[in-house]
Amino acid sequence: MSAHVVGTDIMICRVNNRKRLNGPAKTTILLTVVFFLSVFVGIVPAQKKFSRTYPAGQNIRLQLMNRTGTVTVEGWSRAEVSITASLEAPAANIAPQNLSGTIVINLIRDNQGRNDVGNVNFTIRVPYASIVDIETKIGNLSVSNVSGGLVRAHISSEGDITLMNISAGAVSAENVLGDIFFDGEIQQEGNYRFTSMRGNINLRIPFNSSFKMVATAPSTRNISIGACSGANFGYFGDGRRVVGRCGNGSATLTVTNQRGNIGFIRR
Amino acid sequence: MDNELGEIQAADVRMHLAVCSGCALVCEDFSSILDVCTTEPASGLVPPNSQALWCRINNIIENENKPVPPETEQPSGRFWHFSLIQVSAAVLCIAVVSSLLTFVTIKNYTQPATDDFTTRSAATQTTFEKVLSKVGLTETPQEARNTRLKQQQAAIDYWHARVQTRRVQWDRTTREAFDRNLQAINETVNDYTMILQKDPYDEISGEMLDTVLDDKMNLLRDFSDL
Repeated sequence: MSAHVVGTDIMICRVNNRKRLNGPAKTTILLTVVFFLSVFVGIVPAQKKFSRTYPAGQNIRLQLMNRTGTVTVEGWSRAEVSITASLEAPAANIAPQNLSGTIVINLIRDNQGRNDVGNVNFTIRVPYASIVDIETKIGNLSVSNVSGGLVRAHISSEGDITLMNISAGAVSAENVLGDIFFDGEIQQEGNYRFTSMRGNINLRIPFNSSFKMVATAPSTRNISIGACSGANFGYFGDGRRVVGRCGNGSATLTVTNQRGNIGFIRR
Repeated sequence: MDNELGEIQAADVRMHLAVCSGCALVCEDFSSILDVCTTEPASGLVPPNSQALWCRINNIIENENKPVPPETEQPSGRFWHFSLIQVSAAVLCIAVVSSLLTFVTIKNYTQPATDDFTTRSAATQTTFEKVLSKVGLTETPQEARNTRLKQQQAAIDYWHARVQTRRVQWDRTTREAFDRNLQAINETVNDYTMILQKDPYDEISGEMLDTVLDDKMNLLRDFSDL
């Protein structure tokens, strides 16, 4: 109760102070705001926006090769592909192509010969059943809500890969430095490959998944197979590799983390 | 010509000879022979040494009428004179050798060398492969790995040279990111190299070294076009 009273007094004082501001003070504050705004504008790189939409069938393929920046791909129910990108200065050239059902965005090709190109952060929405094949040299990749035949995310150097709610027959995620997280289904006869040099690889899969697996973590030897504990697995090479089968083992799962951990999480 | 025909027949013959040039020529020949026989003395008609002439004629006629003698079997060399056992043994040897060659060919075809011998240890070699390695027909896993490493190193050197020409044009962020990643890969390569120096038969380390060198090559190649 007393605290409430004290708080009310402070508010009254602030209101009185505001009322006491005279002309020179206002000018000073205004100049200060203008100064900071100008400094802020100078620090933050100018950004351009890119937006384009393509009509698409259900079996469309997205093929994106970025230089640097974040790429986010989300599945949606519309039969169209929506591409939006924010381009940091110096702005990159973007010239997407629609080649008979394949949307091709290649920033390496579009900016060949340019030495200085700013980050490009993509947000792309595709039909659920799309094939997604995205690459970047540096930056994070994220794919969610996609159930096409293939999801491939490749980072040439560093960046995290997040694959959420994926139901694809073939999944490939590869980076050098960074984490990989997969949350999705393991389909019959599917092929799943996750490779990192240093980072954590975590795979969240349904309990009743069926696959044969080779998981290798030679440096840490930290391979946690919690989600598949009932399966028939064996440790090889002093625990550096786990080989085994879960269920009838129709799908193939290959996980390699040279200097990081591998974990299976029950979905 | 000999006046042996009747008048009617002679007339018919003359009529025929008048219209048939072939028969007329034959008749002329006969007439000439008869003329010679009747006009020349007998000594002039008999050839000198007629007996020898007849002998030659007889020989020629006999040679023409003699049946062709069957081809006499050429005397064969000792090379083809094999016994049944020897032939059987030769056939068996050919079958075994061709089977082995077929097996090796199929095995090499179905198991790519880069993913196999480079990452395999002597412990996982089959007896047949060990025998082939012993006699020098195939590489040992260590030799295959060294060959593979040389190939990878050559590719890495090539892409590294290309990156060096490009990296001066990169911005600072890109250069730092590239160096960080290359360093992480190099550290991993060094780790596996040291492990393999201590234990050349470590199958997993051999496989991982192969993978990491591929990763290094891919990193260099990917950044060479920036």
